[in-house]
Amino acid sequence: MPTTTTSAASSSSSTASASGNNSNRQADVFSRLASSDPEVKLKALREVKNQIIGNRTKKLSFLKLGAVPAIASALADADDSEKCNNILVQSAAALGSFACGFEAGVQAVLDAGVFPRLLRLLTNPDEKVVDAGARSLRMIFQSNQAPKYDFLQEKNMEFLFSLLNSENENVSGLGASIIAHACGTSVEQRVLCEAGVLEKLVILLDGSLSQREACLESLATVLKNNPEAVSDFVGLESGRYLNSVTELTKDRYPRTRLLSCLCLVVIYNTSPSYFVNMGTKSGLITTLLELLNDPGQSGDDAALGLSCLIAGKEDLQKLAYEANAIKNIVDILKTDSELQTKRLQGLFLSLAELCSKLEDCRCSFVSLQVLDLLINALRHKDADVKAAACICLRNASRSVKNLSAGRFNSDHVMLPLVQLLHDPSSSVQVAVLGALSNIVLDFSSPKSSFIEFGGIKQLIELSKSMDPNARCSALRALRNLMFLADNKRKELYISDVNAQGFACLISDPEPPVQEQALALLRNLVDGCISSIEFVFDEDGLILDTVGRQLRKGPQAHMAIQGMYVLTNVASGTELHKEAVMQQLFPQATGSENFMLKFLQSDESQLRSATVWTIINLISPSSPGAYDRHVKLRSAGIIPQLKNMVNDACLDVKIRIKTVLGQSMSFGDNY
Amino acid sequence: MPVRVVESSTPAQVSGTDPGNRSQLPPSSLLGAGQAFSGTQNVSNQQKEEAWRVNVQIQGIDLEHGYLCGTMEALNVPMADTPVITFWEGEIVDGKNYTFYTGKWEATREDDMRHWSKFPSFSPLQGQVESDGGRQLDLNNYPYIFMRWKEQYFVNVGTDCGLTIAGFYYVCFSCSDGSISGFYYDPNSSPFQKLELKTVNEGRSGFSFSSYELQ
Repeated sequence: MPTTTTSAASSSSSTASASGNNSNRQADVFSRLASSDPEVKLKALREVKNQIIGNRTKKLSFLKLGAVPAIASALADADDSEKCNNILVQSAAALGSFACGFEAGVQAVLDAGVFPRLLRLLTNPDEKVVDAGARSLRMIFQSNQAPKYDFLQEKNMEFLFSLLNSENENVSGLGASIIAHACGTSVEQRVLCEAGVLEKLVILLDGSLSQREACLESLATVLKNNPEAVSDFVGLESGRYLNSVTELTKDRYPRTRLLSCLCLVVIYNTSPSYFVNMGTKSGLITTLLELLNDPGQSGDDAALGLSCLIAGKEDLQKLAYEANAIKNIVDILKTDSELQTKRLQGLFLSLAELCSKLEDCRCSFVSLQVLDLLINALRHKDADVKAAACICLRNASRSVKNLSAGRFNSDHVMLPLVQLLHDPSSSVQVAVLGALSNIVLDFSSPKSSFIEFGGIKQLIELSKSMDPNARCSALRALRNLMFLADNKRKELYISDVNAQGFACLISDPEPPVQEQALALLRNLVDGCISSIEFVFDEDGLILDTVGRQLRKGPQAHMAIQGMYVLTNVASGTELHKEAVMQQLFPQATGSENFMLKFLQSDESQLRSATVWTIINLISPSSPGAYDRHVKLRSAGIIPQLKNMVNDACLDVKIRIKTVLGQSMSFGDNY
Repeated sequence: MPVRVVESSTPAQVSGTDPGNRSQLPPSSLLGAGQAFSGTQNVSNQQKEEAWRVNVQIQGIDLEHGYLCGTMEALNVPMADTPVITFWEGEIVDGKNYTFYTGKWEATREDDMRHWSKFPSFSPLQGQVESDGGRQLDLNNYPYIFMRWKEQYFVNVGTDCGLTIAGFYYVCFSCSDGSISGFYYDPNSSPFQKLELKTVNEGRSGFSFSSYELQ
């Protein structure tokens, strides 16, 4: 593309209002753009184009003055005769430049209605015009605002293939770009594959740099999450092109290395069986780690690419850890304080994935003093960075060893987290609740910075949020906070929540919220025996609500927590045990006892929790145990347990043996 | 998506609406996070008979990796003014992550067999362990769990407190009643110091269970 650089094409931050001379010149350019004299118009087009190339500030300034519609008019007015070719080229180039990496520019170009005109340039007899049109359109298709391309329409598919078949590298590259950015669904992927797009794309792998890169991007889009498409691709010439892509991870151009890595990440995530070779996996990780140091967009994309690759895969996380990933990332974070938002987000997400399953990672993470980096990131202005830092903290704090050592229980860590509970972004709120859920589990000391910063009140508020995820997360954090809590800590919660309010949580419309509320209650009634009294407030409202929920036939996970509430209450005094019996055998109902249903559940944890309740109810040391045993036997519960002596789960089997042993002591035979 | 569990094993993503997969039930609900045990460690030597009262609490358990951890509190320790608390990490002998052979901490195979054979519940397994390391054993269905516990650091005293945590414990846990017995092994300490613990119910008439969930 012909370009000339002039002294006007600077990266200074001068604006249209900066000097009178500047604005005069710009106003003058506009009148010249509208000139009927083609030479004058051409010169004006070149002037604008040269000023805005690589200069975002100039782009914005010209945009505000209405340059895009003016240039669009110039393009529209030019006919396809040879003498207008230069105008076509320069106006297309200028529009392309506006659209290049500048979303407002893309919007303006599309709003000016010039898109169809640009498409028509592709059939112009002059190669330079075709080039300029293709480049311009490629810029537009780099943006999320690019028009939807309906691959399902036959004529669109024909047009696309005509682009891919073109010998002009910009045109074939455009075809690939359209696919890369517009193909979104598995239906579109299938239609493209059936039309033979893979065979067309792989030819571009052997083409120019620009074609190769466009091909790699579009391959990744067509193959993503589509095992059939991946199988088709790998099958092409018996794996030749998979090998080619793998080889390209060693290419001398960083962007090529990155795009080939991202393509392999897509293939691996879709069909990991094609990567039996450990060397390929290691090579992929090593290349991505190296690319993290690339100062440009490749580095940004490499960070996110790495996090996508290792997400959920312990074996790859281990490989990355052994390749010194954590230290590499931490070094980048420590030495470069001006990292782009996208790269920061990617780096923190990569660290988060590294720590997601491996204890060694979490420990080295802590020893490399990464906490300070994370705490700083919690104060970043960008929500994505804050959320990524919170996710990283959440995963690092999965280490019971580090929680036990009190590594997170300091004002320095806790204060910014508590402050983020008020963040306007819901993704940040969810992420910080996740981190806090773990961090409040502090085994190291009864003193909690979180409580001192008023965290309990905030969680109580969030447990009443309109958003069920927030309610669930807040209750989970409270549950963890109340794990093995002493009465003093429990009182801080109970004093602010009345029985009515708590009963509402247990009856929340969302089962996961119910589950967490019951798990919290389970912890509240554990520990000192006096803490059981909470369920009897307001005439036993809470205990009644638990019983009512259990009788409704809830999901297993909620039922497990509910039964452990009853187990814990039943480990108390005679009065407590009798109160549990009233919930198990309420007078009004004649329906099948829910305990029988739970004992027949497929979930062994539920069977186990139910048996524990029974064990506590007929614990021989309590005076009313015999009478309760009689009742349980006549309700068919003891006989049901006799049928379960060979339960598949060892723990359930052992607990049943305990019950039947107690039963024998009451004179029962089994 | 990572597995979501109720106890403290492999933690999961945030989604409260998707139960996802849960990890298997621990072999014993009495060997779970929050469970407390109390008893004694016999620290007698040739000079005198002595026993320390000991409290143990499990803080975390990760069956997938055969890992658990917790604290151990030793009371009436002569050299210390206060109870001494240590943090320990355990290896569960599950045949997958860990076997009966320690392979470290200066414990030879002979040391291993000498200690394991002191647990009556080990005798049915002894022959197979001696012949092929116990590879064929179905330990998941055996009502005893064998572990090694290694103290990692002192929580509330300095390393100059005059006590050592250089050794480790061979431990046997009974799934049925939650009782624990163990033998401390340290080539530089009195041999076979016995640890004996029972579950603690904090004044309750029955068993009570707390839980947490790591995100």
